[in-house]
Amino acid sequence: MSTASTETLRRPNTRDENWKYANLRALERIPFESGHAESGTLDPVDVPQRLASRRVVLVDGIYNASLSDELPAGVTVKTADSTAAPNEQSNSIDRYFSELNGRRRSETLKVQLAAGSRLELEILCIARGLGQPALAIDLATNASLTLIERHLVLADETLSTATHCATNLAVTVKLAAQAKLDLWRWHRLSGKSQHVETLDIRLGDGAECELVQLTSAGRASDTASSRSTAFVRHEGAGNLRWNVATIAEGQQNHDAYVRVEHAAPGATTRQMFRGIATGRGRIGFNGHMLVTAQASNARSEQSLKSLLVGGEAEANVRPQLEIYTDAVTATHGATVGKLDPDMLFYLLSRGLAPATAESLLKWAFISDVLARLGDSKARHEIEAALVEQLPGAVAARGEM
Amino acid sequence: MLDIKDLRTKVGDREVLRGLNLQIGPGEVHAIMGPNGSGKSTLAYTLAGRPGYEVTSGSVAYRGKDLLALAAEERAQEGVFLGFQYPVEIPGVNNVYLLKAALNAARKHRGLPEVDAFEFLTLVRDKMKLMQMDEAFLSRGVNEGFSGGEKKRNEILQMLVLEPTLALLDETDSGLDIDALKIVAQGVNTLRSPERSIVLVTHYQRLLDYIKPDHVHVLARGRIVKSGGPELALELERRGYDWLLTEAA
Repeated sequence: MSTASTETLRRPNTRDENWKYANLRALERIPFESGHAESGTLDPVDVPQRLASRRVVLVDGIYNASLSDELPAGVTVKTADSTAAPNEQSNSIDRYFSELNGRRRSETLKVQLAAGSRLELEILCIARGLGQPALAIDLATNASLTLIERHLVLADETLSTATHCATNLAVTVKLAAQAKLDLWRWHRLSGKSQHVETLDIRLGDGAECELVQLTSAGRASDTASSRSTAFVRHEGAGNLRWNVATIAEGQQNHDAYVRVEHAAPGATTRQMFRGIATGRGRIGFNGHMLVTAQASNARSEQSLKSLLVGGEAEANVRPQLEIYTDAVTATHGATVGKLDPDMLFYLLSRGLAPATAESLLKWAFISDVLARLGDSKARHEIEAALVEQLPGAVAARGEM
Repeated sequence: MLDIKDLRTKVGDREVLRGLNLQIGPGEVHAIMGPNGSGKSTLAYTLAGRPGYEVTSGSVAYRGKDLLALAAEERAQEGVFLGFQYPVEIPGVNNVYLLKAALNAARKHRGLPEVDAFEFLTLVRDKMKLMQMDEAFLSRGVNEGFSGGEKKRNEILQMLVLEPTLALLDETDSGLDIDALKIVAQGVNTLRSPERSIVLVTHYQRLLDYIKPDHVHVLARGRIVKSGGPELALELERRGYDWLLTEAA
């Protein structure tokens, strides 16, 4: 169990700086404190095709052996185990949901790779009712993991929990020296589902971590929302790339707070956020870079961009630099803009319908993030799913 | 093909076209020349339907249809093509996709089925060869990282693939070295046909050494102030525009 008790914590509210733009009202209605809910049976035909050679499936945070492959070496399911200790300087309010997860989860999926070993794995997290999944990733020296973490809502409408299908996820990552993690995260929410998560990532000397994340909900009519809180700590001269794309349509709300702490010399962080808000959608991204006095020769780059389509859409994108040493290279840029009228006219002048032209430009806006997935199956699946949201953009990636 | 009568266009609060008249017959190539700020690009944008270019009076008949009543994309689907003076870069939108989507939009408008992938690639490769463009351009974002000359060649490539009925080429020659100018001119010349009209907006006579116009017009202060044959362009090269502006005043 987690070391802290939720009794000593209070729920965050919109007066808390890092939670101002989260959809807390929706989260308040979710009884995370009560633990798990009955999620009924799942028809295997509803489970999508795999994205990696090995796959583990969790349903509402519980390991599902019948839908999973045989667990590869290093992957285990531990009952009622705790994840790694959180970073010392994190704000306890920001840890409210991870503490709840620590109290209420019934098991943790652990991925522990021995020195020099490699693995490609998909973890499919299916949300049907109320789930508190926990993932713990521990890579020894020179180990390498490509992890596709996919979150999907398959709510059972016959259950009362369907009205508050929700996930409270906790992920801890520990990378030893020279370890390498490619963490591809795909959140595909739907309906009224809520997703809240806390990530703790620690990088050792020479460790490399690249996160690529796409968050969206399936239909513009959905009111799904998500909140992602991440604490990353460079404990050596590691290399972090953090790439996030988010699309909020209708009344969806997707908010993130990412704190990256440079606690040792020579680490590099490159952060890219691309968010699109349409209709009455809201997106938030707060990229907090903390460079401690010990972190000389730190390098930090932030490129945070958001696109608003429609008069009621909202974006709150903030780079936040907190630097306690002079020997640092830090750049940041944050923009909130609308569809470029010159680009739009160019496409219209070639005969494309306005809806197609807009979809293409939205696609183009997040393409920098999708490109980080390379020519992978995951990318093709993600793009195929995105086409439902961005009709007309079907071949923007160049398919004939 | 195109009949423009007393066209007046405002951009913001400024009236740029002030009663412009111009008739273009099928198969003809017209060159529009004129000093800076005379309204040449405004004419091209107005005909292509660019938002912000407000027509306050006048009419434009295109193949018997009211062109001004059509949205920008409808004009393109009807066969009007604008070659941009400054083609915009659209990173993330694949060049080959735009070509295919544009071609299919026009075909759909004409009631034709979508182009077959093999047939399309054969067509594009053929046109690229003509424009001396590397096939690697196809997989890049639209005009992304292209040099000025490559962008202009890409505009002509699009035109060759789309085979418009009316091509409006806005300073297609600007920023081109002499070799690129010849390639672009060659591309334009291959499109000349009795059913197709071309409007060349240009500052310089040198383009007209390679694309022979049937008519040359001088646009000044928002109106056509003089029209003539190819010899007019040579005269402008020698004498500049001042004498015409004095005459027009």
